[in-house]
Amino acid sequence: MSKIWAIARLMIAEGLRMKIALVFLVLIAAVVVGLPFSISGDSSLTGAVKSFMSYGLSATSLLLAMLTIFMSRSLSDEIVSQQIFLTVTKPIARWQFVLGKWVGMMVLNFAFLGASALTIYGMVHYIKATHPPSDKRYDAKELENEVLVARHATPVTLPDFSEDAELEFEHNVEQGRYANAPDTFDAKREKETLRIKHEMKWRVVGPGNGRVFEFEKILCDRSPGTFVQLRYKAEVTGYPPDEIFRAYWEFGDPYKNVPVYTTKTRHIVARFHTIRIPADAIADDNTLQVRFFNQNRFEGEQQWGNVMEFRSSDPLEILFTVGSFEWNFVRLLCLMMFKLMFLGAVALLCTTVFSFPVACLASFTVYVIAGMRSFITESMELASNDFSGIFGSVSGFFLQSFTHFYNLLHWIIPDFGRYDAVEQFVSGRSVGLAWVLQGFGDLVLIKTVIVLGLAMLLFHRREVAEVSF
Amino acid sequence: MVEQQLPVVQTAGLCKVFRDFWRRPRVEAVKDLNLEIRPGEVFGLLGPNGSGKTTTIKMLLGLLYPTRGRISLFGKSPSDVSVKARIGFLPEESYLYRFLVAHETLDYYGRLFRLPARVRKERADRLLDMVGLRHEAKRPIGEYSKGMARRIGLAQALMNDPEFLILDEPTSGLDPIGARQIKDVIRALGRKGKTILLSSHMLADVEDVCDRVTILYGGQQRAIGEVGDLLRQRDVTQITAPSLSPETLDEVKKLVSRLDKRDILEVSHPRVKLEDFFMKIVEEAQAANIKTSGARQGGAVPEFLEKATAATTDQVIEGLVEASAHNTEPVAAIAQPIIDPKAEAAKNVLNNLLGGGDTEEESPKKDVSQEAPKEPVAPAPKVAADQSVLDALMGDDDGKPPAESSDKS
Repeated sequence: MSKIWAIARLMIAEGLRMKIALVFLVLIAAVVVGLPFSISGDSSLTGAVKSFMSYGLSATSLLLAMLTIFMSRSLSDEIVSQQIFLTVTKPIARWQFVLGKWVGMMVLNFAFLGASALTIYGMVHYIKATHPPSDKRYDAKELENEVLVARHATPVTLPDFSEDAELEFEHNVEQGRYANAPDTFDAKREKETLRIKHEMKWRVVGPGNGRVFEFEKILCDRSPGTFVQLRYKAEVTGYPPDEIFRAYWEFGDPYKNVPVYTTKTRHIVARFHTIRIPADAIADDNTLQVRFFNQNRFEGEQQWGNVMEFRSSDPLEILFTVGSFEWNFVRLLCLMMFKLMFLGAVALLCTTVFSFPVACLASFTVYVIAGMRSFITESMELASNDFSGIFGSVSGFFLQSFTHFYNLLHWIIPDFGRYDAVEQFVSGRSVGLAWVLQGFGDLVLIKTVIVLGLAMLLFHRREVAEVSF
Repeated sequence: MVEQQLPVVQTAGLCKVFRDFWRRPRVEAVKDLNLEIRPGEVFGLLGPNGSGKTTTIKMLLGLLYPTRGRISLFGKSPSDVSVKARIGFLPEESYLYRFLVAHETLDYYGRLFRLPARVRKERADRLLDMVGLRHEAKRPIGEYSKGMARRIGLAQALMNDPEFLILDEPTSGLDPIGARQIKDVIRALGRKGKTILLSSHMLADVEDVCDRVTILYGGQQRAIGEVGDLLRQRDVTQITAPSLSPETLDEVKKLVSRLDKRDILEVSHPRVKLEDFFMKIVEEAQAANIKTSGARQGGAVPEFLEKATAATTDQVIEGLVEASAHNTEPVAAIAQPIIDPKAEAAKNVLNNLLGGGDTEEESPKKDVSQEAPKEPVAPAPKVAADQSVLDALMGDDDGKPPAESSDKS
């Protein structure tokens, strides 16, 4: 271990004294400290903090990824300048040398990520203290409840519409509606279509009507004085000229021996809104019943004939606090660090094979592919479908070849988007420990170990005194 | 009874072919090299540029892999990590980290040998003393001159007290003082029983310090043997004596003519070696305390560079090693010529024959690091130039070969 640490120390000293790392540190500091003065979000305090954290964390992540790739040039530089001759002729195994380089890079990344996180944390409190108040008390409370918190979300429990779909299907058969159906008619698919139709119908609430929403597994503190939040967004048709819809809500199941709370809301259409609900409305079986009425119960106001729709793309959910903002931040940083660990291994693998410019390009390509994997995969699938019938054509052949190559990369290059928790974190949602552990397992224990092992193997076989380009 | 020991280095049919991008053979740098370096010897690898010296060394160190053939170091593969703990390596260029200061550099390499912190510090200090750079220990290597960096390179090679030292062009880029110091260190380490492989095209360096040499050309071995055997001119005899009067010279000529039935070909005053003259000037400057930001006079070889455990092959060498293992004199003092008692006796006889001249120049050199000589120092005499003539002068006719140690002056 002492030999690995000796290499790591050298890497750190090189990073700091050759000023590569310092340049990035200055850039990170400039971005993190400068951002609050250049962005304001939607002019609210919450908007300003969310925008700052979102941009600040994304910029930090990008700059540290760049730093990792640039730092890896240390290995190829040592080979080119032949400094490695003096090191590998000492009693140190090649794998220890590669691991030492990786550890050195990770220590620098860890330190810089920590410094950046502390700065972001400090700047959040600075913004909170100095942001021009619109409604200072409300703003601060909103920030505390919706951003500087770690909340878990429980989506609404959908009723089982398959029985309704089955009944309707049988009714249709009896009515002979499928008598002239083509040979390709698939009963299973038809039932699924009917099930979706029933669900969509359930999501729509007509004027004057109501709907009962059930939420389960709300594992939170239910003591008096604590709250959970209902977050929703409603698409409204036929809304009033002021674009504000009125509604009436009841929280708590009267048959489960819990208090029932009511509230009347005036909310802007097509925007997400949050309603605070006393936690004691949650039953002992950790369920919460919410009854929604598309009714205007404000005195003296007319009933407007608007139709409300709660779309599946904008989930209706109950949010409840499961931890502190600080620990949530730490878990987010862990996920960011895991990605850097993988990227560091990739960068070292590239530098054991190629000289720096080529290695840098290859590492950057992997970073981009990992960051856009979902998008690329979808695009490839769409493109493959388009070309599927014309494999004989040149473009089809190249596309198919590239698809096969991409599938190979797909196996080893992780989907960074899957572990991108910035948006989650910024909206005050918990970055779950299970997510972090999954990221550790996937990004570090599997992918990083494989890539680093490959780098060690290639470097072990490499003749370091042989000139390569 | 001579104790047989495993060779430090053994190669058999060693070949290295460099290939191009398409794996086609481009250059055959080393061809069928068979080499054996014995424990405790200073072995010279000679050859012009491109003769395969550095390639051979790189293969010995595992920096290149042989295309064909076999290498063993201490009986193991060069890629064996444990073998590397016993080796010190000074490459042909000082491949040091420019951002580290000298002390950190030595500390870094010490860490790779897992030396405890206290030992690392102690050795770094002593080695910096030895190479005359203690006063520059806090300067980044990037600011060093080439020669200063070479000295640090030598220091790092000795950090682990290696049993086997590989020096690739060790005097390259060094001023005459540095070159002399390096040679002194090599001699001192050789006497302490270290095995040394010295690669150079500086023939004088190799001649000065090596026991055996091999000469490479075009990647092939062209000659191998002991330096004395390879260089000895058996058809010429040289006698070195204090300045003689014309009358004495006439007497000598007559004596040689009468005894050997041949005439003396040339009588001249020997010249001092330029290296010795240069060293005298520098030592005078140092004695006058003239300031320099460069390297200073090196110190003694540190005590931690103990005798190599595998160095002894017979009792004579054991005796020599034991005698020098406790030597704590400065390098220049250690580098005194070894005077063979038999040759010394022969010179005394010659002096008596020639009328008992002053023998002051024949005495061992004084410690140059402590006292500058008042006159140019005469080159160390080749006392074993032709033992047979001396034997004849002494009346000894047994024809035994001269002592080997006197070849290295």
